[in-house]
Formats: sequence, C-alpha cells, structure tokens
Amino acid sequence: MPTARPRAGLTCAALACLILVAGCERPVGCTGEYCGTMVIASGGEPDILLPPVSEFSITRDVTDQLFLKLADLGASGNTIGDEDFLPQLAQRWEWDTPTTLVFHLDPRARWQDGQAVTAADVAFTYDAYTDTLVNSSFRSSLRQIAAVTTRDSLTVVFRFRRRYPEMFYDAVYHQRILPAHLLREVPRDQWRSAAFGRAPVGDGPYRFVAWKAGESIELGADSTFFLGRPHLRRVIWRFTPDQQGAVTQLITGDADAVEVLVTPDNVQRARADSALATYPYRGSAYGYVGFNLAAPGDSTKPHPLFGDRDLRRALVMATDRERVLRNVFGDLAKVPPGPLSQLWWIWDPEIRELPYDSGQAARLLTRTGWTDSDGDGIRDKDGRPLAFRLLLPTTSAVRRQYARLLQEQFRIAGVEVQLDEVDFSLYNERARAGRFDALLNVWNTDPTPSSGFPQTWTPAGFGRSNYGRYDNPEVDRLVDQAVASAANRDQARRAWRAAVETLNRDAPGIFLFATSNVAAVHKRIADVTIRPDSWLALLRTWRIPADRLTDRDRVER
Amino acid sequence: MRATAPGRRFFRHPTAGPGLFVLTFFVTIAIAAPFVAPYPPYYQIDIEHPNHPPSAQFLLGTDPLSRDVWSRVVYGARVSLGIGAVAMLVAVTVGTAVGAVAGYFRRWVDTALMRLVDVGLAMPRIFVLLMAVALWEHIALWVLVLLIGLTGWFGTSRLVRAEVLSLREREFVAAARALGAGAGRVIFRHVLPNAAAPIIVSAALGIGHMMLLEAGLSFLGMGVPSPTPSWGNMIADGWHKMAVAWWSATFPGLAISLVVMALNAVGDALRDALDPRRETV
Amino acid sequence: MAAWLVRRLVASMAIVFAVVTITFFVVHLAQGTPCGGERPLPPDVCERERAVFGYDKPLPVQYVKYLAALLHGKMGYSFGLHRPVADALADAIPNTFILALAALLIDFALGLALGIYQAARAGRFGDVAAGNVALLINSMPVFWLGLVLLLVFAQWLRWFPAGGPHNPILCPRVDSLYCLLDFLWHLTLPALTLGLVGAASTARYQRAAILEVVRQDYVRTARAKGLREQRVLLVHALRNALLPIITLFGLAFPFLFTGAVLIETVFAWPGMGRLAVNAIFQRDYPVVTGAALLTSAMVVLGNLLADALYAVADPRIRVRGGEGGP
Repeated sequence: MPTARPRAGLTCAALACLILVAGCERPVGCTGEYCGTMVIASGGEPDILLPPVSEFSITRDVTDQLFLKLADLGASGNTIGDEDFLPQLAQRWEWDTPTTLVFHLDPRARWQDGQAVTAADVAFTYDAYTDTLVNSSFRSSLRQIAAVTTRDSLTVVFRFRRRYPEMFYDAVYHQRILPAHLLREVPRDQWRSAAFGRAPVGDGPYRFVAWKAGESIELGADSTFFLGRPHLRRVIWRFTPDQQGAVTQLITGDADAVEVLVTPDNVQRARADSALATYPYRGSAYGYVGFNLAAPGDSTKPHPLFGDRDLRRALVMATDRERVLRNVFGDLAKVPPGPLSQLWWIWDPEIRELPYDSGQAARLLTRTGWTDSDGDGIRDKDGRPLAFRLLLPTTSAVRRQYARLLQEQFRIAGVEVQLDEVDFSLYNERARAGRFDALLNVWNTDPTPSSGFPQTWTPAGFGRSNYGRYDNPEVDRLVDQAVASAANRDQARRAWRAAVETLNRDAPGIFLFATSNVAAVHKRIADVTIRPDSWLALLRTWRIPADRLTDRDRVER
Repeated sequence: MRATAPGRRFFRHPTAGPGLFVLTFFVTIAIAAPFVAPYPPYYQIDIEHPNHPPSAQFLLGTDPLSRDVWSRVVYGARVSLGIGAVAMLVAVTVGTAVGAVAGYFRRWVDTALMRLVDVGLAMPRIFVLLMAVALWEHIALWVLVLLIGLTGWFGTSRLVRAEVLSLREREFVAAARALGAGAGRVIFRHVLPNAAAPIIVSAALGIGHMMLLEAGLSFLGMGVPSPTPSWGNMIADGWHKMAVAWWSATFPGLAISLVVMALNAVGDALRDALDPRRETV
Repeated sequence: MAAWLVRRLVASMAIVFAVVTITFFVVHLAQGTPCGGERPLPPDVCERERAVFGYDKPLPVQYVKYLAALLHGKMGYSFGLHRPVADALADAIPNTFILALAALLIDFALGLALGIYQAARAGRFGDVAAGNVALLINSMPVFWLGLVLLLVFAQWLRWFPAGGPHNPILCPRVDSLYCLLDFLWHLTLPALTLGLVGAASTARYQRAAILEVVRQDYVRTARAKGLREQRVLLVHALRNALLPIITLFGLAFPFLFTGAVLIETVFAWPGMGRLAVNAIFQRDYPVVTGAALLTSAMVVLGNLLADALYAVADPRIRVRGGEGGP
C-alpha cells in the first residue's frame, strides 16, 4: 500500500521531535531576588581551605565567604583605631583599659552544622594561629597580643603587650574564627592536610558545597545568615591552568568574573565586550625577583652567589625595570620604589632606591672579580660561571614573560639565567623550603604595611613568607618604630621610608611591579563593590536583578 | 640506465621534487643562519613595542618579547632539524643494530630482543620522555635528544629484522660464510647494504616524528629551554597571544608542517625509488 | 586459533608486567617512596599506605607488596588530587576512551571517504590535490592544529565551546538528552583534531589498498558482468580493502594516547593524558606509575585486539599457524 509507508514515516518523525523536545527541556527553577549563579574564573587553586595554614589569595577569596572575622575593614580602608571597622562576628566592643579589648559576640551567629558561635571558638582560634606546630604565616602579625580569654560564652577579652595605633586591626583582621568543636581533635601538626580543610564548616554568608580538585569549588548561599541573606544563590570558582585561561573563559562567556585582567590587551578586549563591565581598583599586589641569601636547602650557610651584597646590588642596577614593565603591563602597573604595593599609604616615588645603571653594574661586577675570562659572553670567577636558576610557577603568564625579559637583561650584563618553570604547588613547596637560587614572586598585601612587611622582610618570617631569609636588624628596628608611631602619620612615614631605603641598599630582591588592577564582571551582576585589599570581601551584597536572570542563574541545587 | 632508474622512479612522485626543494631550503637556511638571519635569535629589539605585524623590516613580524620571528625561525631550524636528525641517527643506529642481530642470530637472541621491543612499544613515547624529564631535573639538552632517539628505535628494529631474516637465506650470504667470514663481517658487508632501502626510508620518516615529538615536549614546557629558539617552544611562547599576534605561533607551526610534509613526501618517493619490487600506485 | 590467542594473551600480560616492574624500580630509584622525597604524603595518609605498600621495608619487598596491592585494585594515594590513585584513574579513563573512540570514528569515516574519492579519481587533479591536503594535515603538530581550531571555532566564531567536557552548571552529569548533546558538543573539537590528523594517514592507506584490489581478477569479473562502477568499488573492492584499516586500528592506540596527552591539555579534557601530565608536573609519582601501567595495558590490548580482528577478517592468516602477529 503506497499510503501506509508515508504515514509510518510521519509518525516516526513526530515521535522523534517529541523526544527531542522533551529531552531538550532545560532545568527551570529559581525566580526572584535571591537567585543567580556566579562563576569566577581563577588561574590559581587553593591548597587547603583552612585559613591559618594557607597564604594564597585565592584561599582568602573563598574563606572570606565561609568564615567571619570579629570585625571587618570599612570602605575607607583605615586601619588605625577602631572607628572605621564594621561589626561582623562581634556585635560591639569596648576598651576596658588602653591594652584590654573586650568583644561582645552576636548571639545570632551559628556554625553551619547548627551549633552557636561562642567565645571559646575565638580563644581556640587565637591558640591555633599562634601555635608553633600549626606554623601559620600570620603568627608574627599577632605577636603584640599577649592573651585571649573568655569571660562568658559571648564575651572575649584581648590583652595586648603595649599600646599602638593599629592594635584593633591586628586583633580582628588576620584571624578568621574557626569552629573549636570540629577542629579541637585534629593534631596541630596535621592541620595542613586536615580533612576539614577539604570540606570546611563555617559561619559565614556561604556554605561549602563541593570541591572537585583541579576543577571547581562551589559555595551555596546560607539563607539564614544573620547579617543578611546573600543575593547570589551559588558561587562557583573554576580553575584554569593560568590567568590567561581565566580571561579566555570570561570572554567566551563561560565565566562571569575575574579578579585581574592583567594585561592591556585583555582590558581592551573586556571593554570591547558589551556583556562585561570593568572595575579598576587600587592594586594590592607587587612582584619581585627574590634572591636566596642562604644556600639552597641549607639555611646555615650563605648562598654562594647571593650572599654577596655587591653582586645583588649589581644585578638590581643591571635591570631596566621601567621598559620591561611597559612590555608586560603597559600602563597597568608601576615600578615600586621598594617592596610596596600601590595600596599602601607609604607609597612614595621619592623613596631612594638603586638606579638603573648598566655601566655601574658592570663596573661593580668586575670589581668583585666577575670577568668574562673565556670570551663566551658570561662572566666567571675562579672557573665558575656567573649563572643561576630562576624559579617561577607555570600558572602566571606575567611572570613567565618577565622571566624571559630578565633573562635577556642579565645576559647582556654577562649573567646566565636558566628558568625553572614548575607547577604552582611545587613552586610553593620549594619557596618555603628555600630550595632555589632566585624566585619570581608576587604578594597580595594587607591594607597596611604593619603586618605584611615584617612577615616578608624580617626574621619573623623565616620558614614562612621570608623565602630569601633576609635579615637586617636595622630594618627590624625601623619597622618596629614605624608600627609604634602609626598614629602620627609624619613620624611613621619617616620611619617607613628609612626602613625601605635601608632594605633597598641591601638589595634582597629586584622590585619589578606594583599592579593597578582591573576586574571584569558580567554586566547582569549589579551592586558590585570591590574592596582593594580583598576583592570579594563584599560579595554577599552583589546581586542579579530578577529581570536579568539567565538559564544558568535559575538552576537550583 | 640502471643508475638513473631509481632517480626516475623517485621523481615520478609529483610531491618528491617540491619536497626535496623544501628540505634543501630549510637545511640551507639552518646552516647559513648567521648570514640569513638579520637579528641574533635572543635579541629583544624594542621591548616597549612588541608584536609587530609582518613588514618589510620584520619579515614575519616580532613576537611578544620583541624578537624577530624570521630570525628565530632560521635559528630554530638549526635546533629543530638538528634534534630531529641526531635523534633519528641514534634511533636508526640502535634499531639497525638490534634488528640485524636479532634477524641474523635468531633463536633465543631474537626472542629476547623482540620481547624487549614489545615492551618498548607498549609505553607511549611522550609519556616516557615526560617522566624522564620530571624524574631527573635539569637534564642537559643533549641527554634529552639522546632519550628521544632511544625511545624511537623499536619500529626500525622490526623492519631491519624482517629484511635480515629474508636476506640471510640468500646465496651471497652462504657464500660469504663459506669463505670464512665472521658474523659481524657478514652483517656489515653483505646483509645490511642490501637492507639499506627500508632503513633509509624509515630514517627519512623518522626525522619527522622526532621533530613533532620535540615540538610536543616544548609545548608542554619540557623541551628546549628558553632562550634557545626551537620551533616547538616558539609555539609554546606565542600561543597565548594568538588573538593579538597570530604570527609568532603560526609561522613556526607552518615551518614544522612543511618540513614534516616534505620529509613524508621524500620518504614515500624514496620507498618506491629504492625498492623496485613495489608497485607504485 | 584459540591456541594462538592464548599465547598472545600470555605474552601481552608479560609485557604489561615488564612495564610495571621497570616503572616501579625507575621511580623508586629516582625519587624514593611517596612518604619521602620532595612531596611527601601527609602523615596520617602515610600510616595507612605504609601498611599496604610497606614503605619502610626493603625495595624487593615493596615491589611484591605493590604487585599484591595491584591485584586488589589499589595503586596508592595521590596527594595532588587528595584521593586514591585508582579512583582518579577510574574517573579519567572513560573520558579518554570516549575521546579516542570518537576520534577513531572520525578518522575512519573521513579517511575512508577520502580514500575512495582519491581512488575513483586516481591520477587526476582531485586525487593529487586531496592527497596533498591530506599530507599537510598529517604533518601538522597535533597540538598546533588543536590550537588553531580552538582559536577559529571557539574564540572567533563561537560555534563550539573553548574546552572542558561539559557545561558544569547546567549539566554536571549527563542525565538528559540535552546534557548528552552538550557533551557531544564539547567533544567535537578535540575529537575532530585527533581524527583529522589520523584521517589523512588512513586515506593514504585506503587509497593504495583500493587501487591494489581494483586490479585483481574478481573486480574485472564484476566489471565484465556489467555492474556499475560504483557497485564494483563499494561492494566488491571495498570489502577486501578494509583489511588495512584493522591494522591501523591497532597502530592507532599509541598515537591516540600521545595525541590525547597534548589534545587533552589544549582542550582541558579530563582524561588520562591530562591526569598523567599534571601528575608529572606536580611530581605526584603514585599517579604517574598507575597511569604508565594502565596506558601500556591499553596499548597492548589494542594490539591484541587488532591482531585478533585481522585473523578473523583475513582467512589467509587463519590457516597459517606459527608465531603470529606482525
């Protein structure tokens, strides 16, 4: 029958269409003001989500949403006194004596397993942060606090060793309060590998949902958060092999936000994209080549090359930092006059530093015995060539570019540099263990130099952030003086300037760039406020208006 | 007439001539690099204005570090072709030796060697090389080249073994042995010259494989170290900026493709030229 | 046939065993145990693993314990991924397998089509031009081709995604037709890259095989019978010309793994190649050893499969006994 076949064919086609349509149904769920999925693309991944034992800025970004501090920095960024701080875990505070600070915790605060947040948690947190077994990088920032005790379940007392202007900042900024009942049993020397750090329980605006190693971390909004329900329902960090990959994800629409666009052409692409909004903010990062003043792997002996101060000074003077910076950043960064970020109030282009002077550098090298005796273009002394290895992670396109530019700068000066480009986690291991000649490092600084500077450039940071083991008692003294006089701006400025200038004369590193950041966020996300010291600190106020929700935003979990 | 018959068979392939030309071109510029390249390969010309598009002054443009791409392609030819050739030499030498010994002596020597070849073929080469570079840090470039060669001889050994197995039964071998020649002499003077054809062909094709392997390793960051240019690490350096400066990653890739293509064409033509028993199609 | 198969199976297992042994000793000699060396496992994990793998015992004992653990499916613990090695590999292998399968399909489909096209126009312009394009593609570095395709199709044209196996928010699992389509959409570019390079090679073999077969007597018979040229080619010649494809199938495995390592890196495809490369960069040696073992096993099995298929397809081989295998 000629008519039977076409009809069968038609029903087949209709069935196929139905199946296709049914299968193509997309998940529709959330509507209203508390929806939205924000995807943040990041070139770095946290090592562990336990605040005391991780210095990564990406860890800070995530744990900012999971854990609360006693009080947080205000919009002005002022770290002196206590007037400009906003209550978080602590509802209010008062000074019993000039060196005794009493916090009253908010009774509404809850851990995400239901338990109340108590003063015991705060005391436990302080104990952990200052425990030598935990070996936290933030321990040195808490050295002026003598003791933390509890008066009752909601009252905590901080006793300081002396009065100084930024004592409140030290009490609240560095510590994220941890749940004592979940961490008490974990042996202190195993905190770096604690299971809690892979699945944390916090008291912040967001709950931990999932962490797929190497791929993503997902957080979900806590609708009962006592300081106000976050608007964005889900926040997901997606990890890419490097920051450039993160920007690519942003441009193709797979991600909604990146912290830094880094290079001028990325900024151009983002500005040209009609779906993205760019947010410039003062950068808190500075990058440098750090010399290892101790022998690699043996901190008792000086480094065969970099133990020599003149050699270090010559290398600094051989580097044309301005031109190299313009290649990498265009006008999105400045050459810092020392280990400073643009965020710090002590930033002053007048600070004296070693100039770019290749002639003087050459003379200095020759004077210390490094001459090119065999005509191969590389200086040598006693049969050994002037050669070293520069350690850097593969995740930073900026540092890789810098490494290649510096390689050539040094080669012209007669120094051979070989690059060790390793995985980010391996880089950090080696940096901490001192197994390197020189390394290309970047720090995201705190809002004030009082805590970060000693961490990195005084013996308080040995085995932690002071990778190169730089130690100058004069610098220590000047830093202490600067911190003590922080209320008197002029006196502090003079002390800081003297400290930085003394450090510059020692040339423990070549200070290459201090960034001016530009973040990019998808236009549909409104109320974006970025605090320069921690760009996602105010994430819980960001929102997506109901009329701008996309499919991705409507997915419920 | 006999001497030119292979030549005619060679050029009967339409791609043989152009292939030979491409190879000659790249080998020439590699050898004459200091004269052909306008700039030294490390030289960063004007770091404040990188990423020049191709122009009269910079034939293939400049890369993100403001180095002349054409100069680096020329010097990179030295490195990439050199690595390919040396690694191939190592591979062919070891492969021929193993294959000849296995094919000539047969029995347990053959079995043992061929099992070794099976094990060698079971591990993907790039994996072995990556492991070697990771396990022993800072290995010198020549060691890397040696390793590339030492992981690539297995196919050649099988080929040579097959040839030797069949040649061994021929009269000239029996005659040589009857005259009292030792095994080594028989292999070198009598068997191998007649087995030369597949060896030469696999050598020609092998260079291409080695070059691609080196490019892959450099792309992953485990190959030729900066600042020495190789076509592989030029791609690795330049692909981040593909959107704004496509030339710095494209031209080295094109160079590799052309050279490998030429090697394939020449290898195919050689296979037919040297082995008259095969039908050309 | 059965005897031959058993012998080949035993030989294959011996090869894998040899690979495991070599890898084990090389890694241990260079870097020691996972509890020592540059990136040691955390102490509590070390305690657990020590019982199974005997890290404080002499090397031969460790070796035996490792083999015993393998038989139980345990391969150690990865500090980089924070999970047992076997779990990580089990998650990654299917992705590589699917990628390789898709690439093989594209490879053979394109290669076959191109080979037939070239054979039909043997010696004419179409043949020569297609042959040259195929040769060029076959000569490209596979990662470079991937980068170019990524740039053109994903970044400029936005026709395909820029990497990854799926849309992680809308389709974290393949649980609907939509998500299956999403997965295939993400699979396209990486599989295409791998398939294209292989297709060129397949096409050359196929063309030669078809032309060889076309000269045979049975084809002339078919033509003499008056059958159309198309039918002659497709039905009679093709069936016999398919044999080389089977050999290529076996040869494809090592190539696919090498290609997969690079392609998975370019396209961020979460397969075994990328897992192995990341582990090598992080000096995560338990993962490296496990991956080495598994890839060799897959390569060897692939060869075995190819040989078995060849024996099935070509009756001439079945009659012959002997050592078997190329």
